[in-house]
Amino acid sequence: MSEPQDQTPTESHMLIPATTTPVPETAPEPPAEPRLLFNPPIDIYETPDGLVLYADLPGVTAEGLDLQVQDSRLTLFGRVQQRDPVARQILHQEYQVGDFLRSFILSDEVDHDRIQAKLTNGVLRVELPRAPRAKPRRIEVSPG
Amino acid sequence: MAVFRWGQSWDPFQDLEREVDRLLQGVNLSLHGVRFSRRFPQVNLLELDDAYVLTAEIPGVDPKALEVTTASGYLTIKGTRVPPEEAREDSFRRQERFHGPWQRKIQLPDRINEEGMRADYTAGVLRVTLPKAPSATPRQIRVNE
Repeated sequence: MSEPQDQTPTESHMLIPATTTPVPETAPEPPAEPRLLFNPPIDIYETPDGLVLYADLPGVTAEGLDLQVQDSRLTLFGRVQQRDPVARQILHQEYQVGDFLRSFILSDEVDHDRIQAKLTNGVLRVELPRAPRAKPRRIEVSPG
Repeated sequence: MAVFRWGQSWDPFQDLEREVDRLLQGVNLSLHGVRFSRRFPQVNLLELDDAYVLTAEIPGVDPKALEVTTASGYLTIKGTRVPPEEAREDSFRRQERFHGPWQRKIQLPDRINEEGMRADYTAGVLRVTLPKAPSATPRQIRVNE
């Protein structure tokens, strides 16, 4: 499925959630057992310094989190570490345990080198500072 | 060259953004329906040989502010998930995560040993272990004439 949002970012968006996400190359080898993959819910809000992104990644610790920026794409991949105990019977089930994957298109407005992330109690917080505005540069015109 | 400049109003783009969000939500719903528009937090109840285990995905809460209580055969968990102070309501560009007070009440399938109850919270997952009560043998009640 191709989505229009996955194309070249427009200037009005610093950070666009992408609708398709390739699994990052550095992701650990998939284990033999099949694992579920979920699109985690996110919040994005604006601050004077840039944007802040939050993502719910229950069950993911810092060791299991892979966050990378490549080719203007920010990809988060969270591998759930803890497994539920082997149940004799599941009496009630509202959720399934799985890993998390989501990616975003970053525009040039984001200073890619100053992106910072923190994972607390299963919530990822990513700070995306605004890039300092380029100073106007005067181009000398040499007489021809 | 970037047309957009920081410090300008977002307004011209808000309608478009809203429309894109609406479309994206539709896509998400069809692909990952269970992850959206759901109760918070979501819980599972497992039965082990000697205990029941309730697990709940409650990322981003202070464990000290989590209330776990049992009464009359029900287990109640409650708390509040607050958005960051710095985030103003009108500064959200996207909001999919749950915010606000929440409560879940789950009926326990059997009698439990309340003394042995244990709860721990790791990486945003709450796990409550409820050992089964030893008195599983039926008790005969004498009927008086």
